[in-house]
Amino acid sequence: MFGRLLTSALLILTAGAFLRASDIDGTIVVQHKLTKRKVTASADAYQRGASVPLGADMEMAQDPLAYERSHVVVYVEGDLPSKPVTAELSQQDRRFTPDLVVVPAGSTVSFPNMDPIFHNVFSLSKAKSFDLGNYSKGQTRMVVFPKPGIVFVDCHLHPNMSAVIVVTPNGWSAKADGTGRFKLPNLPPGTYTVVAWHKTAGFFRKTVRVTEAGSASVEFVIPLAEDGSFQEARK
Amino acid sequence: MKMRFATHAFLWSFIPFALLLAGSFWVIQQRVQTTVRGGLRSSLREAHMSMARLRKENELQNSRFLQIVAENPALKAGLQLLLTERKSGAAQRTVEDQLREIAETLRFDFLLISNSDGLPLACIMRVDDQLVALDIHRLTPPQQGFFTLGGSTYQIASFPIDTNSENIGVLSIGERFDLSELSTPTILAQNGKILRSSVPNASEADLEAALGRCGNQAECETRIAGETYLTLAADSIDFGDGYTLRSLQSVDSVSGPVQGVLRKVFLFASLGALLAAAALSFFSSRSIVRPIGAVVSSLRESEQTGTLPSFQSNPETIQEIRELTESFKRAAGAVRESRENLQQAYEEFVGSLASSLDARDDYTAGHSRRVSEYSCVIAEEMNIGGRDLEIIRVGALLHDIGKIGVMDSVLRKPGRLTPEEQVLVQQHPSIGRRILEGVRGFQVYLSIVELHHENWNGTGYPLNLCDVQVPLCARIVHVADAYDAMTSARPYRSALRHEDAMRELNRYAAVQFDPEVVQALIRAEQKGRMHKTAQEPAPSRRLLSVSRAPADSDTLEGQISERRLG
Repeated sequence: MFGRLLTSALLILTAGAFLRASDIDGTIVVQHKLTKRKVTASADAYQRGASVPLGADMEMAQDPLAYERSHVVVYVEGDLPSKPVTAELSQQDRRFTPDLVVVPAGSTVSFPNMDPIFHNVFSLSKAKSFDLGNYSKGQTRMVVFPKPGIVFVDCHLHPNMSAVIVVTPNGWSAKADGTGRFKLPNLPPGTYTVVAWHKTAGFFRKTVRVTEAGSASVEFVIPLAEDGSFQEARK
Repeated sequence: MKMRFATHAFLWSFIPFALLLAGSFWVIQQRVQTTVRGGLRSSLREAHMSMARLRKENELQNSRFLQIVAENPALKAGLQLLLTERKSGAAQRTVEDQLREIAETLRFDFLLISNSDGLPLACIMRVDDQLVALDIHRLTPPQQGFFTLGGSTYQIASFPIDTNSENIGVLSIGERFDLSELSTPTILAQNGKILRSSVPNASEADLEAALGRCGNQAECETRIAGETYLTLAADSIDFGDGYTLRSLQSVDSVSGPVQGVLRKVFLFASLGALLAAAALSFFSSRSIVRPIGAVVSSLRESEQTGTLPSFQSNPETIQEIRELTESFKRAAGAVRESRENLQQAYEEFVGSLASSLDARDDYTAGHSRRVSEYSCVIAEEMNIGGRDLEIIRVGALLHDIGKIGVMDSVLRKPGRLTPEEQVLVQQHPSIGRRILEGVRGFQVYLSIVELHHENWNGTGYPLNLCDVQVPLCARIVHVADAYDAMTSARPYRSALRHEDAMRELNRYAAVQFDPEVVQALIRAEQKGRMHKTAQEPAPSRRLLSVSRAPADSDTLEGQISERRLG
């Protein structure tokens, strides 16, 4: 453990001292809708006596492919230096907000309850399983995620609620924006395996060579065509 | 009441027929209606039953489905949370929110969760399409059956919520009970009081009264607002709390159209049958009455003409009528025969009377018969026929019948008569009248017998009547008598020649005789009709008349003065 930390520190140092870092610019191409529409009650559902109109996930309804693209997480595999962070995954309007959190291993995520009702956040994922129990508005719980991996977060009381915490091995990770673009900045030159992950489509790996000369670019087409070739992107 | 036989026959065949027809149609119609009603009722009952069965199956299906709802793990978690955090409003809201979501997704109108002791913990209800949480402390809904709240009635079903085979609570699911969704009219009542009804045109009071009559019977027939309904209680579920659910079906409205059609059919059929009966009765009465009518009319005709008809028996007609006609014919034949016999006897009698009179004197032999013949000839010339001619013929035969009462000494006296004797002779018309007066059927001849010596100018006897006061028949016989007297020989003179006799008649026309009658005689004579009969006298008499021709007055005037004309 100590040795690894040392190596990492050494690597960062050497990279900083001897090498000029470069970026990986990438594009996510999503072929078609991947996520099933979730039915979630809207904000005013918790007032007593108020009706509960069924609301769609507006973001997804407006541009399904943009939603898919923005829910792709890209990270680089390998023992690169990592700095734990603190993130927040709140429960608001009977939804997890945000529904996708990317943190490097060792980070702490807090789960505050903003709703006037109870929530019971839990996960059964291998990377980190926990059950925070019932707690009501204003209370929060903290969870540390020491291992990289995908952690699916649910609520016992509300089966519709779900979120994903992607615990990455290092600090080089990003979420694509609505157009599918992402950037992994300041990577030391070398050959890396870039991983793209989508909740329903799974993992996509690509090897990228980063040189001093400039930024490398990579494109993920999700999902793959059946014959393994990349399909032409279409909305 | 006088009634024609045809009417009588018609009425007696039509009225019983019509009554019978109407009665049998009524009975058949009633019977058919009852049968149709019965059939409809049983089919209605079956439909009802199958619907009830279907509903029961649906409920079963529903209950399975609702059991799955009660197995919702989130709800279980919520209930557990609520059980541990009894005082927490947030916990209550959490569960209410879960219930709301279930209600929203599964379209329930009422959801209540209670603990294992039945104490309500959270409840939501749909009000104006909004799902609102209710104050649980005031609620005591049943676990099964109906529950009325805020003017709405809910049908409730409850399911246990278990975790690890331990019961932690009960989920009650209710749906607003809307009768309008049911295809059949239905009544929901609680302890006999109507809560909901989808029976058209029936007031609650009517329905309550009808239900009261049904009592506890599951299936019952009752009258509501004048209509017969078949009701069936939905006994598949125990609604509890005095609730009863009954479906109703109007038997009348179902059987109404069929009965209407039936009624129409029977109306037309019975009208047709009655018309047919009327026509048949009419024809049968006519067929009976017509031959009788024919017989009657020919009898009536014979009544007018005085002659008995000879019936034509129509071989086509009915046996009885034919027999009637035949017997009538036989009777008429017998009557006719006897009448002819009588007539013959009468004629013979009259003839022999006249002959016996004529036979008293050779000179007057055949006189009556000849006067009768001449009178007939004249009368025919004057276009007299039929019964009048017959009267003239017989009257002329009898015209001198009164001479029976005149002594032979006077009557057969060959020579002039003394005035006393003349008076005796002149009595013969009156005597004749007296003789015949008493004989029935001879009255018609009286005028001839009495007045055949009246003169045109009123100088005759016995009544001194003039011109048309004397009946024509007597005037005719008068002329014929004179003619025969002149052309016959008498003991005191010979017969005048025909031409002389005619001249004499002409001379005394409009004096002694009716000129028209004389004209008729002249016309007949010119046609030769008088000659023929006039030359018939027997030779013996002619001989006599020649041999005994006296130096008598050759003129008629002379004869008349003698007053010996017969």
